[in-house]
Amino acid sequence: MSLPLAQEETGLEPGLPLELADERESIKVTGFWMFLVTDVLIFASLFASYAVYRSRVAQAPGPAQVFHYGPVLLETLLLLTSSFTVGIAIWAMRTGRVRMLFFWLAATLVLGAGFVTSEIHDFTSMVGQGLTWHQSAFLSAFYVLVGTHGAHVTFGIFWAVTLLFQVARRGITPITARKLYTFSLYWHFLDIVWVFIFTFVYLGGKIG
Amino acid sequence: MAEPRTAPEQSAREEGLEFLEPRVHGEGFPMAQVFGYGGSLLLTFGSFFLVTRHLMPPVILLAVILTLAIGQAALQLGVFMHIRESRGPAWQLMPLGLAFFIALGMIGMSIWIMMFKAGVS
Repeated sequence: MSLPLAQEETGLEPGLPLELADERESIKVTGFWMFLVTDVLIFASLFASYAVYRSRVAQAPGPAQVFHYGPVLLETLLLLTSSFTVGIAIWAMRTGRVRMLFFWLAATLVLGAGFVTSEIHDFTSMVGQGLTWHQSAFLSAFYVLVGTHGAHVTFGIFWAVTLLFQVARRGITPITARKLYTFSLYWHFLDIVWVFIFTFVYLGGKIG
Repeated sequence: MAEPRTAPEQSAREEGLEFLEPRVHGEGFPMAQVFGYGGSLLLTFGSFFLVTRHLMPPVILLAVILTLAIGQAALQLGVFMHIRESRGPAWQLMPLGLAFFIALGMIGMSIWIMMFKAGVS
């Protein structure tokens, strides 16, 4: 394993995956963790405002009448599965299997698109019933919290599409590996946020 | 550029920061991820089941499903996000811990302060 000459030429630390073996790329991975830290705080403040406003329904219906559990369960299943498939994609990347990486990343994209489609459908049907965010503090907090998460997922889908092109053109290099790795961190993070939305917003609404 | 690097584990230990020691996932088939996926499905749909069956009083039920959600988050961080992976010491652990602490404080204290309704509305 110890090849000091080769190591000096490539600058890669042996025994580490590509995205961490390259010093500059590993710094960017740490930087991405710092971004996730700030995102934790954004969602925390939105959760705090939802917690405060969820009982302030004014004249509009409350959580128990508003939420549809069928679409929500489907969305949960899609997002949990996509978190798993992106994990497998990173494993394929680290073992150098480009086609497999491509397949699992594309599967992640499709599942993510399914999630966003179901959520948009759910929101538009709610708005169709007159449940807009003007109606009550509860609905305002609900749309802002869940909508911010949905916007993150939508952005992630476009990001992943650019990554598919980059992998197709350049293969697995320290740079593309780092981009894919940070994308996987982002995607798993969104899955964690969704688990709390599912539990606190949707299941919490059923408890009352 | 050519200055020699110390092994990552060594530098973490030297400074008394054993808890930041990095751990990188192996290259074998990730069975942990398969179990992690199964576990996350079980936890999520388990809490849905608990809520639909009304087996507990509301306050306890909310506490139980929030605990399940935290367990699920820990599972995602540990199994899927490789939270301890790093080139040197896993420095991301410290700001992440701080962020979760602030997040809990922000949510908990918002709920607490808004329980004092007297004088408002």
